[in-house]
Amino acid sequence: MSIALVVDAKGLTRRFATKEGAVVALSDLDLQVEAGEMVAIVGRSGAGKTTFLQLLGALDRGYEGSLKIDGRELRALGDRALSRFRNGHIGFVFQAFNLLPDLTVGANVIMPAHFAANLPTADAIGRGRALLERVGLPDVWDKRPLTLSGGQRQRVAIARALLLQPKLLLCDEPTGALDLATAAEVLALFDDLRQEHGTTLMLVTHDDVVRDRCGRVVTLEHGRLTSDVRRSA
Amino acid sequence: MKAGRLLGLVGVHLRASRVSAAFAIVGVSVGVAFLCFFVGLGEGVRARVLNKIFPADQLEIEPRAVRIFGVEGTPGQPGLSEARVARVAQIPGVVRALGKQKSAFPAKLWGGRQLLGYDLHTEAFFDGLPAELLRGELAQTERVAASAVARGRRSAERCDVEEDCPAGARCLDGGCEDVAWAQRFDAATLHLRCGTDTECAAGLTCVRGRCAAASTLRSCQLDQGDHGACPEHQRCASHDGRATCEPIRCRLAAAADQRSLDPALARGKITTAGKGPSCIAGQCPTERPCPSRLYCAADDPDSREGTCEWPLPTVVNPLLLEVFNSDMAASLNLARVASPEILYGVRYHIAVGDSHFTQDAARARQQVKQAVVVGFSPKAPELGVALPLAFVQHNNARIRGQDAAASFDAVLVQVRSNEDVAGVIRAVESMGFSLSRRSRVARTFGTVVFLIYLALVLLSFVVLGVAAANITHTLAMLVHERRRELAVLRALGATTLDVALIVVLEGAVFGLGGGLLGIILAWAGARGVERFAADALRGMPLVPDQFFDFPPWLLPAALGVAIGFCVIGSIIPARRATRLDPATVLSQP
Repeated sequence: MSIALVVDAKGLTRRFATKEGAVVALSDLDLQVEAGEMVAIVGRSGAGKTTFLQLLGALDRGYEGSLKIDGRELRALGDRALSRFRNGHIGFVFQAFNLLPDLTVGANVIMPAHFAANLPTADAIGRGRALLERVGLPDVWDKRPLTLSGGQRQRVAIARALLLQPKLLLCDEPTGALDLATAAEVLALFDDLRQEHGTTLMLVTHDDVVRDRCGRVVTLEHGRLTSDVRRSA
Repeated sequence: MKAGRLLGLVGVHLRASRVSAAFAIVGVSVGVAFLCFFVGLGEGVRARVLNKIFPADQLEIEPRAVRIFGVEGTPGQPGLSEARVARVAQIPGVVRALGKQKSAFPAKLWGGRQLLGYDLHTEAFFDGLPAELLRGELAQTERVAASAVARGRRSAERCDVEEDCPAGARCLDGGCEDVAWAQRFDAATLHLRCGTDTECAAGLTCVRGRCAAASTLRSCQLDQGDHGACPEHQRCASHDGRATCEPIRCRLAAAADQRSLDPALARGKITTAGKGPSCIAGQCPTERPCPSRLYCAADDPDSREGTCEWPLPTVVNPLLLEVFNSDMAASLNLARVASPEILYGVRYHIAVGDSHFTQDAARARQQVKQAVVVGFSPKAPELGVALPLAFVQHNNARIRGQDAAASFDAVLVQVRSNEDVAGVIRAVESMGFSLSRRSRVARTFGTVVFLIYLALVLLSFVVLGVAAANITHTLAMLVHERRRELAVLRALGATTLDVALIVVLEGAVFGLGGGLLGIILAWAGARGVERFAADALRGMPLVPDQFFDFPPWLLPAALGVAIGFCVIGSIIPARRATRLDPATVLSQP
């Protein structure tokens, strides 16, 4: 029986042109991630974690080698197809939350539905309300993001990321702006989601607590994958 | 991304950037306000001033003149015959071509006692125009008369004589009735008195004292009613076994009565034996005046004998009224004439063959005629009066000889549209014609007005261009401020087209808002200028009631131009937005 790979990177390399010459941010990286895994990506600053996350998030197609997400080679997709793919398959949770401050919480949560082809607004609203309830924020629909605490904002961002039920959830320092208790709540939420929906989670983190909650830890150094450790549950 | 959702996002962005949006909208509104203001002014000046003096679709052409030692003339050129006029009418783009003849006989004119309390006297110059050319103006007079008659009927006013009725109406069976002025302007209602054929214009012969084409003599039945089916101003008479309609003869109490407008004096007494309009059940009173609204026109200034005639219908150039209102009224200490309609139906006298300045015609060929104002038209001469063409031709022939009436002086050409004017001018010039001085002035004036109008509209476009540059700057700034939001939208699934549309739509909303505000500003500015002008330009000639004319197409056109400029102005910021690298932006702290 074949195992479903959500992420399949082979010889993945990313170079950036600078005035001083080409800088290699990622070099010859091989990594396969199965559905439902929770993977921590760790490493020092400048190790290539964020670059890797952006490649995984289909925000950057300037790579060499091969990168397949849910079986699709990203470089082969045009702008429109790539945007649609990102919209339907990938969810983002940022350290700085990146909620749109001029919109209400509800409007932020259903924003991905604006770019989805087949999700009526009424359905999106229903799904958004259910997600907010799921993340423990049933009463903030009409509030502005700036009126919420950091932990609440991060949970709103998670609800937004999950609206279209992505197969891959990418998180960049998801607990970086949170206190310990709130961070623990968010991590518990990630665990639940993984178990309930089989969502694959890949988290860039410096936080040992986060790293310890993940079943797999991938370490990057100078753009190279130097360690890939699986832990037993 | 669906349009409704896109607009919702645009609305949210604009609300968040309302100060910048307000400045951008004000900038666009200034440009649109300029544009609408100047277009409205240009259209108003053209419609209410230029067309009032020189109708845009009318050309006046005349045989090309040659200047020899400072004297203009048309040596060696054939006269302007009916045939040449007909050839002009065949030119593509010409709706109709009608000949016009100027009066070659001296004439004096006096009148105005009804309005001024005393008579004004002047030398008179006439243009003979065909009724067809003035049909629109005469219909306007008829509408005014019909409206006044309708008001009279509603108030149950009765009449005994025509003077009891509103101007332009006649008294019939105790009630006021409308009058068809266009018919009165036609040759058929005119009495063209003659002694011999030589006193008649070409094509007419002198039949029983009046010029007529033999074929047009109207037959009648002597045993049918008062008139034997003749028009009101004629009677049925038998000559040589044939009954035809002919003028009703009358006599004035004194020769001087022909210079009176008093109906009791001017209508005289009918002298023609037989049936007449006053006969009741076959019994005719021995002495009765000319029928209602007619007067007894004496055969010459010293005669008491004459014929019952309609007053001569005359059309006046509105410029005369402007000159009266602006200069004459004040200097003569008279009230200004508020509306031309007041003058409809005003009677005055014309002394044909008499002059203040030149040698008079033979006394026997002079005639005093009553005339009535039946309309205003820029086709009438600026310093004269338009009369029925047949009347001018007849008197030119009677006083100056048939040659004076043999050809037209000019041709009035109505062109289908402004686009046809240039082609028609080329065609008539190739036929040996040139534009009359009046038409040349009209075209020069029109060109100057158009160039000024064009310059102001171009200036408006420059202002709009500056506004568009401002839009570019504003949107570029907003894109820079919102680059993180745009990157998030890209991360959530927005395509580059979605991002570009958001920016372009924001520009379009600036255009829509600026366009609407600009239209309101232009309208308010126009009203303000008109209110100011009404006080500042009071008494000046040709000042219209309204300077501005906002045509229906201007509103969508102004909005379209505003939106178009703003969309163009948003293209560069939109391209910049699409080139934002979400990975780079989102990785920045």
